[in-house]
Amino acid sequence: MTRKDNIFFLILLAPALFILLLFIAVPIGQSLFLSFHRLILSLPQLGSPFLGLENYKDLLHDPVARHSLWITLIFVCAATFFELLIGVLLALLMHHHFPGRGMLRACVLIPWAVPTVVSAQMWRFLLNDAYGMVNYVIFGAHTTEYIPWLALPSTALLSLIVADVWKTSSFAALLILAGLQVIPEELYLASRVDGAGVWQRFWRITWPLIRPALMVALLFRTIDAFRVFDLAFVMTQGGPADATNVLQFYGYKKMFVEGWMGYGSAISVCIFVMVLILAVFYVRMVGHRLLEASG
Amino acid sequence: MMKGFLQESLFLSGVLLAAGFSLAPFLWFILCALKTPAEVTAIPLQLLPSFSLESFRLAIERYGILHYLGNSIIVAGITTFVSISLGTFAGYALARLPRRPAKIILMAVLACAMFPHIAIAGPIWDFLRFMGWLNAYQGLILPYVALTLPLTIWILTLFFREMPEELEAAALVDGCTRIGSLQHVILPLSAPGLFTAAILSFIYAWNEFFLALLIMTDPAKQTMPVGIALFQGEYTIPWGEIAAASFITTAPLVLLVLLFQRRIVTGLSAGAIKG
Amino acid sequence: MRNLLTGIAVLVFMAGTSPGGTITRMDEPTTLVFLTWKPNQSKGWNHLLREFDEKHPHIRIKTQVAPHSSTQYHAIVTQRLKNRDASLDLFLMDVVWPPEFGNAGWALDLTSRFPVREQRKFLSGPITANIWQGRIYGIPCYLGAGLFYYRKDLLNKYGFEVPRTWNEMLTAGKAVLQGEDDPGLYIYSGQFKQYEGLVCDMLEFIWSNGGAVIDRKSDQVVLDKQASIGAVAFVRDKIIGKAAPRGAVNYEEPESLGLFIQGKAVFHRNWPYAWALSNDPERSKIAGRVGVAVLPAFQGHHSASTLGGWQFGINRYSRHPEEAWKFIEFMSSRQSQKILALESGLAPTRASVYEDPEIQKMMPYLNAFFPAFKKARPRPLSPVYPMVSQELQRFFSRAIAEKDSDLREMAKTTSVNIERLLQLVSKIQR
Repeated sequence: MTRKDNIFFLILLAPALFILLLFIAVPIGQSLFLSFHRLILSLPQLGSPFLGLENYKDLLHDPVARHSLWITLIFVCAATFFELLIGVLLALLMHHHFPGRGMLRACVLIPWAVPTVVSAQMWRFLLNDAYGMVNYVIFGAHTTEYIPWLALPSTALLSLIVADVWKTSSFAALLILAGLQVIPEELYLASRVDGAGVWQRFWRITWPLIRPALMVALLFRTIDAFRVFDLAFVMTQGGPADATNVLQFYGYKKMFVEGWMGYGSAISVCIFVMVLILAVFYVRMVGHRLLEASG
Repeated sequence: MMKGFLQESLFLSGVLLAAGFSLAPFLWFILCALKTPAEVTAIPLQLLPSFSLESFRLAIERYGILHYLGNSIIVAGITTFVSISLGTFAGYALARLPRRPAKIILMAVLACAMFPHIAIAGPIWDFLRFMGWLNAYQGLILPYVALTLPLTIWILTLFFREMPEELEAAALVDGCTRIGSLQHVILPLSAPGLFTAAILSFIYAWNEFFLALLIMTDPAKQTMPVGIALFQGEYTIPWGEIAAASFITTAPLVLLVLLFQRRIVTGLSAGAIKG
Repeated sequence: MRNLLTGIAVLVFMAGTSPGGTITRMDEPTTLVFLTWKPNQSKGWNHLLREFDEKHPHIRIKTQVAPHSSTQYHAIVTQRLKNRDASLDLFLMDVVWPPEFGNAGWALDLTSRFPVREQRKFLSGPITANIWQGRIYGIPCYLGAGLFYYRKDLLNKYGFEVPRTWNEMLTAGKAVLQGEDDPGLYIYSGQFKQYEGLVCDMLEFIWSNGGAVIDRKSDQVVLDKQASIGAVAFVRDKIIGKAAPRGAVNYEEPESLGLFIQGKAVFHRNWPYAWALSNDPERSKIAGRVGVAVLPAFQGHHSASTLGGWQFGINRYSRHPEEAWKFIEFMSSRQSQKILALESGLAPTRASVYEDPEIQKMMPYLNAFFPAFKKARPRPLSPVYPMVSQELQRFFSRAIAEKDSDLREMAKTTSVNIERLLQLVSKIQR
């Protein structure tokens, strides 16, 4: 690469980087700046004094924030696990050659195509304790046995996880299917000749070779799961008793409902830092492959 | 023989389960679009609708879902186009630049995708107001481009990295400019990757709610997620109309998906995820 | 490629930029931007906008629409007001916002244009809710209050009067449930999800037991006193999962009303809008069999109703305060309130409208609502009410969702938090 080439490349890069700078990097900086101040929207007379790290210290001691973090971690772990599990199963099904494969793929892609706000409302409707489909499927017409899924602290978070898994398993399935499609058929043929059964074939060939695809799916899904918001906003408003008060929803309430601009920004920065650490961790583990050229 | 039958039936039940799991919740919801308001919330629930098209009529006439759909198509379409264009240039550059600076820029780009959107919505809004771009299409398109660029850049960079440099070198030797080689050699070969990035960007812009809520308050410019949020009255949720609107807004996407499902799958596979 | 991109960019910018419309010459009409929500019934609103248009040809009203959800509307309107966005002239305020908007300097002080003698023509509850530190920041548009709906056919069948105490309600309810052969029938349906509606419902229980969050006379936080805690305990032990389904802990207005109009609840607490829906034969299985009264109270105390409703406000930084005032003055006039009542079903905030003969004829049920309207009590009035509300929501939701919750302990913590918030406000009042 000549120097002239490099300059040329930088010029190509410029517009994209400029937009990212203007609309993301600068706002992140502003958020960070805000997080070091106290700013209460409804009490402008108190000004916006510089607090240093006090917002962050308060966050550490805030029992609601700690509970929020706990809830979010549970959500991230459970949702990602099931999405990847179901994603692998769906991918295996969609990879197999059979008549109607196209239809199955289209079916699986539908949850992905449904707008997120619609999906959240739909699940709120499905999980209703009196006329919800989920209860009907499980308990039939015995309305007295219905479970109020969104009303019990124990099942509310589970409901959010189910809604999220439904919506995004197909995304994971697609990424994993991509990984499956790259595995050469010869490997399977050879192992079949050697007498390997279905399970062995999966464990010895498929699993190791789809691991990279799984890692990418895991990375993206974790980043997204950490920032879950729409589901809590539409289905439970963070309740009951803060059982679904995920971090970004708590940050939203602090900033937009109560007007604690500084504190709310600090929550967002914390989410950002946690996701960043996670991403660096992943990329270290798997990603050097992704970032280097192959071959 | 038995083993084969067992495997076959296991497989079949798997397929049915998968299709049912994906389809059933949505189908049930859509069925509500064909019910009267009393039937929608019937206790215990009523399976068969009375096949009334009233909800569809109301969704279109009273709530104007087609209008919001139109705005969404404009915003998402232009977002995708701009995002892919800028992403192509950036991806190409990052694929050809020396490793270390490229890696740093890629990580910075990824970091941009990680910040919670709730927090940057305010500063973005401030900037748009300063430019006078509130309630204008570019007021939504530009932030969306910024939000979809990280994933687009990553996908395209990985794709372009797969392109052997010899192909390009050959084109250059033949007298092509760098841009020419990009246009005539690289892009056609990376069509699957472009396609993937395009679909992901489109669906992101299509679904986005919070920024659209803050930035667009003029009914003429509001997009579909905000439009559907407007269906709710004070204390009332018109489930039938919302279901009808959901059908109207999802059906085109589903059709697109059906038509292009093979392309989508190959797009995600070719090159981006190599073992 | 590049040219194409630039061309498209230019086209997009041109297509998207909207003219400001705020520079006016003498003969050009003034455009006022009114951020509103989509009304349940738009007939009355459209009528009034048209009428204003005809009467004031020099003033054009351009409406922008936000969702009716209180929290979403709040996010959108505060985003604009806090940035002193002069492109917004008129907006609406939920009944708990005027102190916040007034103190923050977002809403225009209307005291000079809305003197006390004019204020007296309105019901006192809504007017009080619009006042902060002696200045008034909004004009009440319509009001709401918690009402007690009941199945008059079932009460007649089992020979019960309309309950005046909560225990009477439980007794009557139990008798009905025993008599009716419906396992899915409940005594009571209300709103108990962790949101603002929970505060409205719980305050009604607390106030009707002589308790409060902030004592009206001493201004002290009395949430942890027995009167308040007793009411919360009653809801936790006798209502949730007993008189009302367990699922009520996730009910907002639509779900709770759904239970009632499907005939699965004997008693129901809701806002005035539920009357029309309960009696609509296309939506309700119990049309024509519904009665309405004031909410019950605890023995020896008075019924209490939470005040709801929306008010008109003017942006303090609007460039056309005079024209904006003309608009909200028109919209809240006696005639306008009558039209909003008749054509959009919104309860008026002017006392005189209730006595209008046409209103009496077309909406006789307003007479049953009126006692509750007159005594409707506003929630604690403070610029930090949104924060206080979050504390209350957290407390109430935890209290009723967890059996054997230590109410005194939780109430004490919440009280301390609320006191800290109120101290912030007293700091600036000095």
